[in-house]
Amino acid sequence: MKFSFSKILKEIEKKASLINRPLTFMELCGTHSQTIAAFGLKKILPKNLSLIAGPGCPVCVTSQRDVESVAGLALAGIPIATYGDTLKIFDTSVLLKKNRGSQIDISVVYDITEALRLKSQKPNLVFWGIGFETTAPMSAWAIKKGLTVYSTHKKFFPAMKTLLQNRELKIDGFINPGHVSAITGTKIYENLKFPQVVAGFEPEDVLQAISWLLDQIISKKPRVQNEYKRVVKREGNKRAQKIIQEVFEVKDSFWRGLGKIKKSGLVIRKKYRAQDAEYVYSQLLRKIRKKIILPPSACQCGKILQGIYRPQECPLFAKICQPENPQGPCMVSVEGACHIEYKYGEK
Amino acid sequence: MEKNNERRIEIAHGSGGKKSVELIGEIRKILREGSSWKNTDDDGAVFEWKGKKLVFTTDAFIVDPIFFPGGDIGKLATCGTINDLAMMGAQPLGLSLSLVIEEGFSWQNLRKIIRSINQISQKEKVPIVTGDTKVTEKGKLDKIEITTAGVGIAQFVLSNEGAQAGDLVITSGDLGKHGAALLAKRFGSVNEIKSDCQPLNRPIKKVAPFLTSAKDPTRGGLAAVLNEVAEKSKVKIVLDEDKIPFQKEVSALASLLGIDKLALPSEGRFVATVSARQAKKVVNCLKKFNRQAGVIGRVEKGKGVYLKTKVGTLRKVETPEGKLIPRIC
Repeated sequence: MKFSFSKILKEIEKKASLINRPLTFMELCGTHSQTIAAFGLKKILPKNLSLIAGPGCPVCVTSQRDVESVAGLALAGIPIATYGDTLKIFDTSVLLKKNRGSQIDISVVYDITEALRLKSQKPNLVFWGIGFETTAPMSAWAIKKGLTVYSTHKKFFPAMKTLLQNRELKIDGFINPGHVSAITGTKIYENLKFPQVVAGFEPEDVLQAISWLLDQIISKKPRVQNEYKRVVKREGNKRAQKIIQEVFEVKDSFWRGLGKIKKSGLVIRKKYRAQDAEYVYSQLLRKIRKKIILPPSACQCGKILQGIYRPQECPLFAKICQPENPQGPCMVSVEGACHIEYKYGEK
Repeated sequence: MEKNNERRIEIAHGSGGKKSVELIGEIRKILREGSSWKNTDDDGAVFEWKGKKLVFTTDAFIVDPIFFPGGDIGKLATCGTINDLAMMGAQPLGLSLSLVIEEGFSWQNLRKIIRSINQISQKEKVPIVTGDTKVTEKGKLDKIEITTAGVGIAQFVLSNEGAQAGDLVITSGDLGKHGAALLAKRFGSVNEIKSDCQPLNRPIKKVAPFLTSAKDPTRGGLAAVLNEVAEKSKVKIVLDEDKIPFQKEVSALASLLGIDKLALPSEGRFVATVSARQAKKVVNCLKKFNRQAGVIGRVEKGKGVYLKTKVGTLRKVETPEGKLIPRIC
């Protein structure tokens, strides 16, 4: 049966009017934000229902300390490889700005096997592993194959718990990430006792998730529903989970905007420390980190990542901060809330 | 791709978007203009000669991988220049062929590339009339670079400035297969997508007199090309998402990688504008070459390019900023 947009929109309209108070749902994946913006969904939703972007953009939540650490490694002459979406974050690096003109070697790879191939040409190559449970299994696999990795991989679920503890933030439901959930499964969300729907990335998926979240609020039965069954299972991808656990251990991690989140970082285990850039270059990294002094910036990425501010509320947005001249990671990444708002939003 | 601290040429400067415009602008600032050649900012220049219009174009080709499903760098270099001439309404007379080859390149692969150049040249009756070869030291170049130039004669020159409110936007076939095939190959993804690389001089010749503008959506895809047409013709273009033909596998790959399929390049398709009155005739004619040819949108008064989404909302389609970047989330 063909999906009817007008039908689901009517349903959403009806349910939202039944609840009759302002409602805010947070979409937790950068790709959700893209779908919402690309299809202009905010414009057609009921007035009392708003959507805000959460910390679902891996590049955005990476701390500046990590950005500067990798930049420092590059300045020390170590060849770096990373994913394309990460490349532009180096434009925000204070260390690189200070050392303008130095030769650095940063390659972009489309997938991890390309990084392994590059390593055969550049033996001291360091791959910057970035992303949630979606990209962590690939890094784990490559570490076992001998790739040296600087890991800023993070577990996503701890961030959701942190968001709910923030009293500044009023969220009525989560649209849970599709790709992350494909790895983790939906079971881990169950003890949160909060309205959640795992959703795919078509506009149909997002609207269905919104409709179900409204149902949960009306019936006062918060739970986890899975709209993305064609990809996501309750148990998740066991093989991927296993390799993550085998190679990484879970430690506290610093997130941009959200601060230190307990047990959210994926750190390379001792067994594989010959492949851990943090270990291999520990002395160098210590020196680099001593040099990091971050100048004050009016960039509001931190607040935007928590859903407290919208991009337009940042004084830099669309003024000096644009995709060609990003002032913070939310404008750098194609999945960042500011980048998406700039690209699709009303100007 | 290497990144550096000073202001240097970035990979995005070669991606057909805003930055490419900046790069060409910088070059033209230094080059002194002023000649009998007319350059309309299309892909070639025009010289009026004894009542005829001589069109001249050139293009350099690098591609990774050099062999891809549906073609290779040789086919691409030949079709590319034939198509640049065809898009200006010119019948190609002949091409030049320059090869820069990396030391150590295999003879077998070179022969394969030259054979595919020959195949297109024979089939389309566009001879390779002159050329040059250079070999660089190993490591100074990635395998091979090909430059072709071409000369053609046009009765009248097709440009991008002629689209008018009321016209319809048409495509000569389904879009994005070249970009998708290359991306798929880079990711080692196994699928059915073959590049759409092919010469366009025959189909366009049949319909050229009826078109108000025409352009092949190569770098930057449909998004880049239609923004160019809208800007130069001073009109607004509204596309209908449901009507733009994409092979199912192309859509699936784009959605998997988080890439906008409107920005995926095609190497054997054109998009054109045509008056509403002539549209049916033109589309029927194009359907003989490709059954997916059809109307994909309309031209209105105003500016910019918009997409009427399947949800019913209208979204702005921007010129892509740089390289297509897959998501990591």
